[in-house]
Amino acid sequence: MDLSATPSRSKSKPRSSPAKPIAASAEPQMDPCTPSKPTPRRKSKSATSPAPMSPVTPSTVRRSRRLLDTPTKAAPEVPVKATPTPAARGKRAAPSPKTPAQREPKRQRRQRRKRAYYRKVVYDGGEFEVGDDVYVKRREESESDAEDPEEEECRVCFRAGGGVMVECDACLGGFHLRCVRPPLRRVPEGDWACPYCEAERAGKAVERPRPPEGKRIVRTAKEKLLSSDLWAARIESLWREPDGTFWAKVRWYIIPEETAAGRQPHNLRRELYRTNDLGDIEMETILRHCSVMCPKDFRDANDGGDDVFYCEYEYDIHWHNFKRLADIDDEPETKEDPNDEPYNAGNDYNSGTDEDSEYDEEEEPKSCFSARRNQSHELAANSRKGRIYGLQKIGIRKIPEHVRCHQKTELEKAKATLLLATLPKSLPCRDKEMEEISTFVKDAICKDQCLGRCLYIHGVPGTGKTMSVLAVMRKLRSEFDSGTLKPYCFIEINGLKLASPENIYKVIYEQLSGHRVGWKKALHYLTEHFSGVSKIGKQANQPIILLIDELDLLLTRNQSVLYNILDWPTKPNSNLVVIGIANTMDLPEKLLPRISSRMGIQRLCFGPYNFRQLQEIITSRLKGIDAFEEQAIEFASRKVAAMSGDARRALEICRRAAEFADYRVKQSQQSGKTSANKGDGVVCMGDIEAAIQEVFQAPHIQVMKNCPKFGKVILVAMVHELYKSGLGEVTFDKLATTVLSWCQVNRELLPGHDTLMKICCKLGESKVILCEEGSKHKLQKLQLNYPSDDITFALKESPDLPWLSKYL
Amino acid sequence: MVAAAAASVASQAQAVLRGRLCDPGFVHSALRSSPDTNYSKLKYLVASSVSEACNNSVLLLGPRGCGKAAVVDMVLEDLKKEHPDAISVIRLNGMLHSDDNCATKEIARQLCLEHQLSFSKMASSDDNTEFIIDMLRECGLAHKTILFILEEFDLFAQGKQRLLYSLLDAMQSLTSQAVVIGVSCRLDADQLLEKRVRSRFSHRKLLFVPSSLEDTQRLVEHLLILAKDSGLPAKYITDYNSRLTNIFSDKKFKGILNSLMDADATTSNILRFLFRAVSYMDMESGFLSMESFLKALSSLQRQPKMDSLQDLSILELYILVCMHRLEDKEQSSYNFTSIMKEYRSIQDAYKTSDKYASTVCFRAFEHLLDRELISFGDNRGRNQALEYRPVKLLISSRELAQSLKLNTTCPALLQKLFDRERYM
Repeated sequence: MDLSATPSRSKSKPRSSPAKPIAASAEPQMDPCTPSKPTPRRKSKSATSPAPMSPVTPSTVRRSRRLLDTPTKAAPEVPVKATPTPAARGKRAAPSPKTPAQREPKRQRRQRRKRAYYRKVVYDGGEFEVGDDVYVKRREESESDAEDPEEEECRVCFRAGGGVMVECDACLGGFHLRCVRPPLRRVPEGDWACPYCEAERAGKAVERPRPPEGKRIVRTAKEKLLSSDLWAARIESLWREPDGTFWAKVRWYIIPEETAAGRQPHNLRRELYRTNDLGDIEMETILRHCSVMCPKDFRDANDGGDDVFYCEYEYDIHWHNFKRLADIDDEPETKEDPNDEPYNAGNDYNSGTDEDSEYDEEEEPKSCFSARRNQSHELAANSRKGRIYGLQKIGIRKIPEHVRCHQKTELEKAKATLLLATLPKSLPCRDKEMEEISTFVKDAICKDQCLGRCLYIHGVPGTGKTMSVLAVMRKLRSEFDSGTLKPYCFIEINGLKLASPENIYKVIYEQLSGHRVGWKKALHYLTEHFSGVSKIGKQANQPIILLIDELDLLLTRNQSVLYNILDWPTKPNSNLVVIGIANTMDLPEKLLPRISSRMGIQRLCFGPYNFRQLQEIITSRLKGIDAFEEQAIEFASRKVAAMSGDARRALEICRRAAEFADYRVKQSQQSGKTSANKGDGVVCMGDIEAAIQEVFQAPHIQVMKNCPKFGKVILVAMVHELYKSGLGEVTFDKLATTVLSWCQVNRELLPGHDTLMKICCKLGESKVILCEEGSKHKLQKLQLNYPSDDITFALKESPDLPWLSKYL
Repeated sequence: MVAAAAASVASQAQAVLRGRLCDPGFVHSALRSSPDTNYSKLKYLVASSVSEACNNSVLLLGPRGCGKAAVVDMVLEDLKKEHPDAISVIRLNGMLHSDDNCATKEIARQLCLEHQLSFSKMASSDDNTEFIIDMLRECGLAHKTILFILEEFDLFAQGKQRLLYSLLDAMQSLTSQAVVIGVSCRLDADQLLEKRVRSRFSHRKLLFVPSSLEDTQRLVEHLLILAKDSGLPAKYITDYNSRLTNIFSDKKFKGILNSLMDADATTSNILRFLFRAVSYMDMESGFLSMESFLKALSSLQRQPKMDSLQDLSILELYILVCMHRLEDKEQSSYNFTSIMKEYRSIQDAYKTSDKYASTVCFRAFEHLLDRELISFGDNRGRNQALEYRPVKLLISSRELAQSLKLNTTCPALLQKLFDRERYM
């Protein structure tokens, strides 16, 4: 194309004129008057630009427009429909654009030598934003690149258009409804394979219809991608070089054929993998948009067009292994600062540092030994800075079949929903408490001045305290995202995960400012922050919501940590709201009066669940899955409600019962019995009972029944002696005498004293009885660890010692 | 010539048998085929966690020596064969890593080792904990399951239980796939957990009990019967097997097994017994005989205290009998001087030839202390002279009586003194 010759501009003109009116409305960046004024600078630059890319719309005028790259193009985010300002015309040589409303880089005067980063660029008729997926052309000067048919041709009649087409899931070919043999009336639901693919699958050799002679097969962009003639990529950042060309940093997608593992049988036809390979490309090589979706969206996108692809895994090109995309199950993160400002490329990339630095090696500061040791420490996978190196390496060589292909049975689905890790969609039975927490938090942060407050939440374990608070915070986060709430800062701390109570200062400070300091310094900074002297961090006046789990572990001898934390909200302008969670109801009363007066004002009690609530929790999780009998769930909830009211216990019992049922089904399948009746795959009362027995019953009776013979005699002798003497313990001497006399009377082989000592110590190790150490020999004292009734029950009918029962 | 060849075949056979007995995989391989054992239950649990990508925790309880660790090893071996790169194993022992910081460092080190990453000893405990949580997440994304095997689980439950809490809490997040297998010999190991940790722990328990008589017999047959492909001459194998089956059906052998199992029926005890029996194999004939089993049984049922009582000198026996008499006289605490008084009164009364000076008696007394047949009754009093510290007798009167009877050189007077005291 005539990018270099000025005289040819006249040639370009007539070509451009027919399309110009259209282009003018679509390309507000263009200055329609400037074509008449080329500059030598432009010319030289244009000589270096690569071959033109095939545009979406047939007009090739875009190329000429690119020549006329004026500085006014620096205002792409706001498509200015009006004619560009007069200032722009004369300012072609001037570096700084004056067009309004753009996110400009701050150092304008350095624009000649610096890049200008943008969030969104309107280029060649397409709006490209950071985070978009695009096609990128692969070969230069390829003729076929110029073609990008909108519609696919039918594989049978080789004509595009002309009716509804259906796509085969196997070969991704398009077929007219009427061209299929037998002809279809409408698009079939679900998966459909064309007759040719079906025949191939059945093993028959089939000949696909050939195009008529002389007709060139025009492939769509998707087909080119899937046959490695195009690339797909995701835009990570966009910028403009000082010479005026636009570049983009992209992250490549890869088709399964190009990975080390190759195409696996479970790969979908439209599947791509995201890689961690970044590259810089000129924006001219970008063709147009496509959409790469996560599995959830892909299922819903039935008519998203031809350019929809599926991406579930990430491929590491250095280590050749796969990993699931981390953001695929979008769980709302409550740990991050909700007041993160939206990504602003202009602000962040000012210094022009290369953002490829995550893959660069750390520089050697000095060459002495300690520095090298420090360096190896820094690069070690478990140190703070080096963690990224280690975590990249984790991955799996081949995506396992069972993950993709396995259809979950009802029981397996039930087990998956009953996992403690899965968050339920809504928390039943805790609406009142959640409402209270929500009012408390909103009251504190919504007013103009945030009043510092403390809330104390208590309840036995497993009643949903932490989950309710986190659910409330998620709701607040979504409200903040929709703009109805002012920014706030949420910090979550768990007392049991701190190495020592003083470390809490370190953690709070790190969350606020991002720096790591020792706890004494952190305490100093935090006191200053909360007394209003000097604020930490950028978000200085935002209300801080501090959630402390397992509050009772912060108790130190002089209770100073708790005092500090609960004292800060009472200071003016502290903007701190503290929510403490613990198990004991009267924790404030156990503390010093000065602390309890600050904490104990507002309390919220989470009572243990009753059986109806437990039943509701379980059934709400199992909605839509028919694997449990009604009575079974009720039985489990009643049992757990009688014991502790712990929701975790109830869920675990149901899951264990499902496991028993599944085990039974799988065992019977293994041993060849066909379980034709549906009753086998359902969790019944017997399974629940077995699960409850496992959880609640202690195993000692079973162990006692299976004791060696002399062990049983010893146990019965102990019961006898303790009953006779009325004391709590018996010495080994007396015990041995009793055992030996019984054995003599009942004509058993006499064991030696040392054998008896060994047996006693072994029983003591299993904590069936409690005994002192064996080095005390005959002076060793022994006690029972379980009630004597249990021993009586276990050993009453022992088959090898019939004479034992007369001593019980 | 023939004897030499027989001896070499015998030693070869002995080596084969010993190798079998020391290989836990072979010992428990019969478990693989039998249905509904703890092995199959554990395997099902771990395999379903791997394939369904869920988290689980299980506790294996039972007296020591019942095969818990062996079952865990077998399950791991099987799973590694089925899913080669989907499992990584972290092993911790409560005796070695009971301190929380030490345990997190060890977990980080093993994780780095498994995935070939570089490990630094200088990372702090917080760093290590964050590293572990990040690794759990990343491995979960890569469909890898991490198996934590905590042996001596009850020792992890001391102190604040921070390690258990952070492990079990990390398993509550969705992307991690981890299975925690705790092995303990204390039956109440789950009662030791704090209420918060208990709430997060799924109370799955597998109980291991010592084997019954039939199981033991089957085990013994499985271990000792040689198969055709053991690398030994076929004639020898057939001879050996036939002799062995004769022994097994003998009533005496059943008696041996019974008396063995009366004391301790665990698998490790049976293995010890069989190992000794194989070691006592008759080298000339090259076959196992009833004598080898009997010898093994008697070596297992030794009573060390009785043996040491047999080795005592007469003076020492005198001292023991004096102590016994003092105890019978209801003297609650006595020391060497009172023993000497009693000794001299006996010597004065009976005029025996065994009268020794006080210093000699003291030597005998010290010797008894060394053998732990007597001990001091108090913990303090280092500065007090040994003669004035109270002592206690550590052997029962029955043992003493038995030893006096068995001792051939024991003077009749001693016996009389002992008995007379009893019946007086």
